[in-house]
Amino acid sequence: MRPGRAGTGPTGGAAAGHHGAATAVRTVPRAPGAGPPGLDPRTKIVLVVVCSAAVMGSGGLRFVPAVLVLGTALAVWERSWGRAAGLPLAAAAMWLLGWVVPSWWPHPVTAAMAIACAYLIRFAAAIGVGMHLVATTSPTRLAAGLRAWRVPRPVSVTLAVMLRFFPVVAAESASVLDAMRLRGLVGARALIRHPVRSVERFTVPMIAASLRATEDLSASAILRGLGSPRTPTAMDPPRFGPPDLVLAAAVAVLAAGALWLPGPLA
Amino acid sequence: MIRLDDVGWTYPHAGAPSLHGLDLQVRPGEFVVLCGASGSGKSTALRLMNGLVPHFHEEGTLTGTVTVDGADTRTARLDELGACTGTVMQHPRRQFFADTAPEEIAFAMENLGLPPDGIRARVADTLADLAGAVPIAQSLQRLSGGQQQQVAIAAATAHRPGIVLLDEPSANLSADAVDRLAATLARLKRDGVTVVVAEHRLRYLEDLADRIIVMRDGTVDTEWSAEAFRAVTDTDLAREGLRGHVSTAALSPLPATGASVAAPSPPDRLPAGALELEGIRCRLGGRTVIDLDRVVFPAGGVTAIRGANGAGKSTLARIVTGLQRSAGTVRLDGRPLSRRARQRASAIVMQDVQRQLFTDTVAAEIGLAGTDAPGTTGTTGPADTRAVLEALDLGHLAERHPLSLSGGQQQRLVVAAVRAAGRRVVVFDEPSSGVDRRHLRSVSDQIRRVAAGGAVVLLISHDEDLLALTADQGLTLTPPGATARRPGGGHAGDEVPR
Repeated sequence: MRPGRAGTGPTGGAAAGHHGAATAVRTVPRAPGAGPPGLDPRTKIVLVVVCSAAVMGSGGLRFVPAVLVLGTALAVWERSWGRAAGLPLAAAAMWLLGWVVPSWWPHPVTAAMAIACAYLIRFAAAIGVGMHLVATTSPTRLAAGLRAWRVPRPVSVTLAVMLRFFPVVAAESASVLDAMRLRGLVGARALIRHPVRSVERFTVPMIAASLRATEDLSASAILRGLGSPRTPTAMDPPRFGPPDLVLAAAVAVLAAGALWLPGPLA
Repeated sequence: MIRLDDVGWTYPHAGAPSLHGLDLQVRPGEFVVLCGASGSGKSTALRLMNGLVPHFHEEGTLTGTVTVDGADTRTARLDELGACTGTVMQHPRRQFFADTAPEEIAFAMENLGLPPDGIRARVADTLADLAGAVPIAQSLQRLSGGQQQQVAIAAATAHRPGIVLLDEPSANLSADAVDRLAATLARLKRDGVTVVVAEHRLRYLEDLADRIIVMRDGTVDTEWSAEAFRAVTDTDLAREGLRGHVSTAALSPLPATGASVAAPSPPDRLPAGALELEGIRCRLGGRTVIDLDRVVFPAGGVTAIRGANGAGKSTLARIVTGLQRSAGTVRLDGRPLSRRARQRASAIVMQDVQRQLFTDTVAAEIGLAGTDAPGTTGTTGPADTRAVLEALDLGHLAERHPLSLSGGQQQRLVVAAVRAAGRRVVVFDEPSSGVDRRHLRSVSDQIRRVAAGGAVVLLISHDEDLLALTADQGLTLTPPGATARRPGGGHAGDEVPR
């Protein structure tokens, strides 16, 4: 999901040279996770909050197409092709099920479907933008952004650790599910016959394995000063730059469009 | 300067102390190797030196005194101890906080509050050193084990600590990655850094170590100077439960064809009960991960699956066991098996076996596996369960909770469950990571027994000692599309996923 930057060689020597020509030798190659010319982490946080509030509020359906366009554009920007295709496809499917089908075939079932889709499409739009934040913001960048806002340290450290913890839990969960599949413990039949036992068989090893995996992580992070009373610095202090300006302009145009153009989901 | 004076340590809720009466001094600039069998306390001794013992285990009992650079570790804060020590844990993959090498290397310096210009300069210097070995723009989780090790060492030393502690740094490395590790350690020593390494494999440290300390039952047992150690033979080491030279195991190649095969040769015969793969192709994330035209894995034998990270070893295991979709056909006894049928016929013994223990007693675990065996009516009698447990020396643990067992016991339990479930295809994924020589033999016996039961056994491992002991033949994979490799695998750095 995270393509390396174009022109970056596998040895990293090319990565250094890539920047080296334009700036001083002392330039650190930028992380691929930061996405092409990266947004300030604070911009991304504001964006997620604003977009979620817009689509989840009353009359939020008006803003859904604009937020979907934004989420898709961000996916294209960071070259996450799967999301760039998946997000509009998911939205289109929900539009078909929630708007087109009920207008052809009015029925209590399609009416229920319409109500469900009216909510789901809002979630899809908000999650689409949220995924850009999660996929392109490393825990250290997020912490640096929050520090620049003078967010109290317990909050910034906790959020950074959570961001780091998600992929660990996801990886451990996938492995436990694999192991359960090979033991014939996954499947609708097992879940229906023994719902509690099935859930227990998943959660106990998942938690045990996640705890073990995160023990090293937290020990190493604390030894390297995470959460210590010292005042941390940032290698690349977050700064608002041209990409943030472009985004602000795009958001203004989309918001204006959402407010004044007729909404297809109204 | 590290000083341990008459140190004893008992982990919380542990019956016996892990360390007792431990006296040890490490002079500035000295290179000390701690070795000994699993459970001898060498990793715990390292944790004393960076303060994780006692700070990270609140209810444990510490006696005696530990001073590091003049600071008493009992009263110093962990970040203060972290500022003068750099720690590389056994699984670097698990200790990374950032996604990429530059951020990971900067992490400690950022938290210590160094000025951004200084951090950038040091990160750039460190990356320049790493550039030949590690693709710097790559996500850390996608690097090979050897590359992750290099980044972890760089990240642990970028803030220029006077002391570097490494816990079994070679445990998950292939032979050529061990050479690179030795070179990195030599550079640290040249720079005057004090180095303490806890290790099972010893010979690669022979020219670096000033002292080698053998630990047994939580205290110092034997101490060798560098000269004395050179006179110690591998046979003597084996008697101490230690591992000497790491050489590449010579295995006869399994005939196989396809772009993923390092040295293709067509398989001719089809022995009874064999697992046959034909036209297996799998693309993940826009990249062909594995491409096998034809390969036949015999039943009753152990086939080693080798190759650098990104060569497709785990993908192959997931395809064989039906966890991963792919093009092509998998046949057992000449009959094609669907993905679901493969899941029912196979098992993986994972590196982290905790992920595959699902019940609350050892006996129940075997009972559950028995209900899953093909051709049974549904239940395994208590007598059967007992027999399976006795065969693997687990009988006395029948009523214990699986998660309360030691790592080795958990692994034996998973193997017992695999046998109770009567699986025909069994994959072992790095079963010996961090295992000393005595236990290596028992891990090898487990694997041989599963094969002797008539199963097709695939063994994924970097551990040349284990492969030499266990495997009958080997299949070396290479990333498809990246042919013309140097023989012997070359550096893992050339073979990462692109």
